[in-house]
Amino acid sequence: MQIAGQKIEEHLIHERPFYLPQKNEIIIAEAAYKNGIPLLLKGPTGSGKSRFMQFLAWKLKRPLITVSCHDDLSTSDLVGRYLIRGGETLWMDGPMTLAVRHGAICYLDEVVEARKDTTVVIHPLADDRRELAIEKRGELLTAPPEFMLAVSYNPGYQSILKDMKQSTRQRFIALELGYPPADLETEIVSHESGIEKQLARLLVRIAEMTRGLKDSGLQEGASTRLLVHAGLLIKDGIEPREACRVTITQALTDDRKLLYAIDEMISSVL
Amino acid sequence: MKNGLIERLQKVIPVEWLNDWERDEIFSHLTYHEPLVEKAVIEQLGIIWPISSALCFYFLDHLKNGLACLSTEQLPDWVKGILDVYEADGLQAARRYMDDVEGNFLCRIRGEKGLTLAEIIPKLLPYIRGLSRKTLDLQPSASLHTDTNTLFLPREITSPANLSHNFYIYKLLASFLWAGIEQDIYCQQQTDPETLENFILSFEDQKLAMACYHLLQTVRVADFLKAYLPGLIRDGQTFFRRLRKEADLTDISPETGDGFAAVRSWLLAHCANDPLPELSGETESIIRKVVASDTHHKEVFAATTNFYERVRCHQEDFTLPCPLFFQGELRPQEARMARLSRREEHKQQFIKALAAVIPSRSAATQTEAEPAEKNQAHEVSESGASVSPMHQDGKKEKPEEDRQDDPRYICLDDEHLELPEELRHVAREIEDDLGAVPSFYIASASQMAGGRGRASGINLQPEEGLPLHGGLLYDEWDFRRCGFRKNWCSLIEKRIVPAKGTFVSHTMEKYRGQILQLKRQFEMMRTQQRFVKRQKDGDDIDLDALTEAYADVRAGLVPSERLFVRLQRDERDIAALFLVDMSSSTEGWVGTALKESLVLLSEALHSLGDRYAIYGFSGMRRSRSEIFHVKDFTEPYSEEIKGRIAAISPMDYTRMGPPIRHFTMVLKDVDARVRLLIILTDGKPEDYDDYKGEYAIEDTRHALIEAKAAGIHPFCISIDKEAQDYLGHIFGEINYTFINDVKKLPLRVPEIYRTLTS
Ligand SMILES: Nc1ncnc2c1ncn2[C@@H]1O[C@H](COP(=O)(O)OP(=O)(O)OP(=O)(O)O)[C@@H](O)[C@H]1O
Ligand SMILES: [Mg+2]
Repeated sequence: MQIAGQKIEEHLIHERPFYLPQKNEIIIAEAAYKNGIPLLLKGPTGSGKSRFMQFLAWKLKRPLITVSCHDDLSTSDLVGRYLIRGGETLWMDGPMTLAVRHGAICYLDEVVEARKDTTVVIHPLADDRRELAIEKRGELLTAPPEFMLAVSYNPGYQSILKDMKQSTRQRFIALELGYPPADLETEIVSHESGIEKQLARLLVRIAEMTRGLKDSGLQEGASTRLLVHAGLLIKDGIEPREACRVTITQALTDDRKLLYAIDEMISSVL
Repeated sequence: MKNGLIERLQKVIPVEWLNDWERDEIFSHLTYHEPLVEKAVIEQLGIIWPISSALCFYFLDHLKNGLACLSTEQLPDWVKGILDVYEADGLQAARRYMDDVEGNFLCRIRGEKGLTLAEIIPKLLPYIRGLSRKTLDLQPSASLHTDTNTLFLPREITSPANLSHNFYIYKLLASFLWAGIEQDIYCQQQTDPETLENFILSFEDQKLAMACYHLLQTVRVADFLKAYLPGLIRDGQTFFRRLRKEADLTDISPETGDGFAAVRSWLLAHCANDPLPELSGETESIIRKVVASDTHHKEVFAATTNFYERVRCHQEDFTLPCPLFFQGELRPQEARMARLSRREEHKQQFIKALAAVIPSRSAATQTEAEPAEKNQAHEVSESGASVSPMHQDGKKEKPEEDRQDDPRYICLDDEHLELPEELRHVAREIEDDLGAVPSFYIASASQMAGGRGRASGINLQPEEGLPLHGGLLYDEWDFRRCGFRKNWCSLIEKRIVPAKGTFVSHTMEKYRGQILQLKRQFEMMRTQQRFVKRQKDGDDIDLDALTEAYADVRAGLVPSERLFVRLQRDERDIAALFLVDMSSSTEGWVGTALKESLVLLSEALHSLGDRYAIYGFSGMRRSRSEIFHVKDFTEPYSEEIKGRIAAISPMDYTRMGPPIRHFTMVLKDVDARVRLLIILTDGKPEDYDDYKGEYAIEDTRHALIEAKAAGIHPFCISIDKEAQDYLGHIFGEINYTFINDVKKLPLRVPEIYRTLTS
């Protein structure tokens, strides 16, 4: 019986990803890595969590394996399963196993979306045992020091059905990646979309205003990602206000009054 | 004098009350009219006089003006309009209303309706809140101004252009007022709030000085806005141009133009992005000084003095023009009052909230050091109590326009205490205002924290040890002794007699569109059908699982039996109990909003099919906690239930512990996967007896912990601006939300329920 070959090298990141640190997250993450403690990234959508992981993987020179969690994700999806190929059965490592075997970084995006019975497989992996049990093969893997587990979640959604279990969350070092400070965000937007700093600053200003709307019923303000989108459209020659309307306003809400108010913010700034 | 005029007038105004001068004045206005007109006018005088005699004279003053474009038949309606404005906004507003018969009255009756502030507040308020990131309020008023807490905007804007243009005008006015606050034209970011007023007082002609200061500050604010909100100013090009033309400010040259007009002209040209007028060297330098980005208020003061002198000595017969339309009025005194009340509010908030988080350690130390109580404040302040912004990375903050982080730590007796979220925010506001958090705030807080155990303990003595009988008995948590008072509260359930009225049908009508939308949204959450994989039996074969099993067999493993997919109807299996605060403080608005939310919620849940129950609670003293039965889990939503919702009315106090404990027991027996206890309240727990302050908060908190331990999810929705400091403590970080705008409650409640359970 053989193990299906998977190229871990594909997950290596060769080029330095563009990432501007918000504060000390890189130092902390490196320390977590050194001490074999898993990482929990908290933060609103589009605040650079995935990008940070890419950067970290590049910096640590480890492959990065990302799994987007959803409620249909099964344990086999994570750990692996048997396949049949040409009459032969063949074991196929799941992303988690792959990462453990090769000492890669395994990043579970939006971990609260996964069912709780799926997430329990990470428990022994996330504490000092650092073990992964592959029941079907009767195999118990111990993760090498290079392996790192990271998960992300967005605390903004208050669904009690999707809150993380204490026994899960207390295994992690938690880093909060909020919205970057204005000058940093300006730089990010300008770099990512290729627009002038001055224009990027205005986009950031719009985002800041929308982030002030929590009390008025907006669930979340505009993220850095939305600003990058707006910038890209503007760069492509779309009229700035229109670009923001389709990338920012409409993406944020369906509430008529808030739509109106956000459009007014845009037309005030741009 | 016209024959019989006195008699005719006598019928509506007691002429003998008038002095000669007043009588002459009235006559002089009436004599030239035709009998019919005169009759109509006298009739109207009879209506205005009892309301305000002063208004009567103003009315007569404006009469000629009015009659020039009004017919006699229109006169009564016009007067009605005048009186409405007078009653709402006073004499000056009524005068202004009379000034513009065309814009204020005729346009309207021709159907050219303007845009009222009330109509657009739902859109403008989020705009301004987002812009300012403060809780600025909007209010209609006859004059445009702000006290730095509230922006006062015109009740209505009727300009000949279309409505969207009128909205723009509102937005522009609001943005200018906000920018004035932001750019500190009220000198509030200075430690001495009276600076501006004192400065103005130092002039001989204070009116002129104020106008000069205001104009220069407007130049500064406009320049700031042009950079900060470039789109806003750009969209106003025609508006600013027109203003410039109407004010006759287009042709200004250094020779002909006076200093004042020149600056106004420059301001409008700058906003309109037109070629700037040529100014004399001195005026030019004044402007240059104020628009420099780092201008300190002292420099604006100096420029004002300079400007004032110039205007005074160059033009002896200078008459001050009205401020420009978007300038409004500058009211430093109101701003100062607002600032003081804000400061007091922050102080209270800060002390209360801080006292709640100061660890009991300091309470203990203080009990020991009892005799030194007086010195307490001293000790703490000498130990250098300070709130200091500390950043994890130690990076220097940029002195930018960007918002800095709120202070995170407080230094108390040389120890760093991390501030909870809301407290940080208040601390920032205080720092903005006073430069630093005064040490006596911290001292008072620690005193409060130290004194709390003993002080309230004494009040409790008489009632101690008298367990109650009758009703359902519940324990109450006494945080001071960390234990329960056994069978301390008695709770009875009461029925509500359904009300007949139209409350529910009104509510349904009022929110018709939203209810439809809610129902649609909630229907979508309903029992979903979906395929579940890897079942032991089902409607179809699960190919993935089968392949895997086959592979397992080939690998010599025992294959799984779960090889089917089944179409599963996902039962939501949620039971929610809504507990509504019926304390007397919900009287009015809040009560109505609470009831409206229940109606909307019931409609939405009805279409969703989740099980839910509604109860009210109130009571007085521990012997009489009451819950009111509106709907239990089994009852369907019916006319009867609607009637009960309508009948919910404010009762007594808010003792939260007993009802929470009661419904914890109730919910415990409900068989559901998720059990929710949602509390709708308008404020903090409080009863008539000693159930107050920290004791009440701690008991409520404990009751909620008990609920959580029983596997129930408590969630609180509070309508209260101030609630933030203690509610976080009661519910733990994430289980509560605030609604500071009552009007939003009815729609927010179903929305919150939706996010909670999806
Ligand atoms: N600190 C940063 N440095 C560089 N780019 C950033 C940074 N923060 C955000 N971005 C930009 O924002 C975009 C969105 O970030 P990313 O995809 O990492 O968000 P996320 O937090 O993973 O969001 P989600 O929770 O929705 O997955 C990135 O593509 C990148 O362009
Ligand atoms: Mg991501």
